[in-house]
Amino acid sequence: MKVNAGNLKKGNFVFQNNEIWQIQKADFYSPGKGSALMKTKLKSLNSGKNVAYTYKSGEIVETLSVDCMEMQYLYKDNNSLYFMNERDYNQYAIPISTIGKVVDFIKEGAKYFVYVYEDKALTIRPSTSVILKIIKTEDAIKGNTASGGARKTAKVETGVTVMVPLFVKNGESIIINPETGQYVERIKV
Amino acid sequence: MQIKTEISNLINYRLYLTILQVVENYLKKQRYLRIELPVLSPALIPELNVKAFETELKYIKKKQKLYLTPSPELFLKRLLAHNIGNCYYLGKSFRNNEQNSSLHSFEFTMLEFYKIGSNYMEMANEFLKMIQYISKIIFGKKVIEYNGKEIDLSKFEKISITQAFEKYAGIKEKELFNKSLFLKKAREKKYTVKGFSYEELFSQIYATEIEPNLGINGYPTLIYNYPKDFSSLSKLSSDKKTAERLEIYICGIELANCYTELNCWKEQQKRFKIRKASHSVDMGLIKALQYGLKNCAGIAVGMERLGMIFADVKSIHKLRLINIVNN
Repeated sequence: MKVNAGNLKKGNFVFQNNEIWQIQKADFYSPGKGSALMKTKLKSLNSGKNVAYTYKSGEIVETLSVDCMEMQYLYKDNNSLYFMNERDYNQYAIPISTIGKVVDFIKEGAKYFVYVYEDKALTIRPSTSVILKIIKTEDAIKGNTASGGARKTAKVETGVTVMVPLFVKNGESIIINPETGQYVERIKV
Repeated sequence: MQIKTEISNLINYRLYLTILQVVENYLKKQRYLRIELPVLSPALIPELNVKAFETELKYIKKKQKLYLTPSPELFLKRLLAHNIGNCYYLGKSFRNNEQNSSLHSFEFTMLEFYKIGSNYMEMANEFLKMIQYISKIIFGKKVIEYNGKEIDLSKFEKISITQAFEKYAGIKEKELFNKSLFLKKAREKKYTVKGFSYEELFSQIYATEIEPNLGINGYPTLIYNYPKDFSSLSKLSSDKKTAERLEIYICGIELANCYTELNCWKEQQKRFKIRKASHSVDMGLIKALQYGLKNCAGIAVGMERLGMIFADVKSIHKLRLINIVNN
């Protein structure tokens, strides 16, 4: 659908430079007494990168109707991750390259929101936190203190290793930011 | 649209009120005269990209179109031509094409002050002294913090429009002042050019590539000498391509717009004729200039934007207790 850039809103999907972008922020702007503009922050659905882009308010922009569906993550192979829509059992593949680092923190059997355009899965909806169980970590050595920011390695249930504080034990669950891979906090589940 | 009451902004609002009082005290001390003005006018100055709200006064079978003033300039310049001397307006201005956003509102509080015998650079220094005074009264120092960055108000970082386009956008002087070369360059930079004017592309590149770099190096930035097409009310610079107009930025936010005022009535009339206005054009300003306007400079300050910097908040609406918001 073609829309005037002055009507763009947060959450809209736009197609430009051969990529699909989601608008993270859209703000009216006019420099000095200059012509009106629409300042936006765009996130690429392919690479996940964020860019700032300013449209002229009379510019015509191609927006896409992208659906967001809840799906179960099944498995992955060398190239793609496979998800299933539990309502109609249709399966969708998403290339690993478009998911990026987050792939390390996706759990088999868990549910994720997937962006779908013209029956093709684009990527998963980003989340700032994911809960994962620690499957292997050494106990802290006596004398090391929990304070002071000391860290040790821990393997989580998706198979990747992250840095955690010394007090975290085997079998406990932690919150990780999948975008950065960093430990956020320990939680009881 | 709806009315939103935002009592949680009370702390910011109180600080903003203090700033207004400090500004008035400063201007009074400097012997500027406060001018109360109408906000409705039967005619306006034709300014590029400024759209006015229209209304109608109805009386015994007669109707008179009136406009809410987008700036107090048309009134203040008449008074200056009548030798009122240094003066200011502090009050509401209205722009019909400005939607609500963090830095915009269709009605906002503007401070506009004029000084006789000054040029735009001297006026910018007057503004700098004023913000130093505000900072000293409120925080007891000349360094403020905005969005995690320290800004030292003791001096400006200065850059011309020509230097800024070269430095931040890779657009050379000859490309900047030649409309077809500029559009070609914009196309190379992957901007949508078809159907858009030089002025629209200039604004787009300015907002995208120049503004985010202004006022981020620890000092407010003064950016000066805009192409003359963007400055219909200011004197031309000696190069005749640019006008004596400047803007002042802190952390990428435009706070003030300043001109050495054009006081040649023939030149002003010529520039007015070029403008296509959607409202009745105020020719009284030309008459006032014919009467004689002394050399002077004026500066317009978005008071809520200034308040936003001192309150360290990200939107002008955070200073307001009542906001008119989009649904």
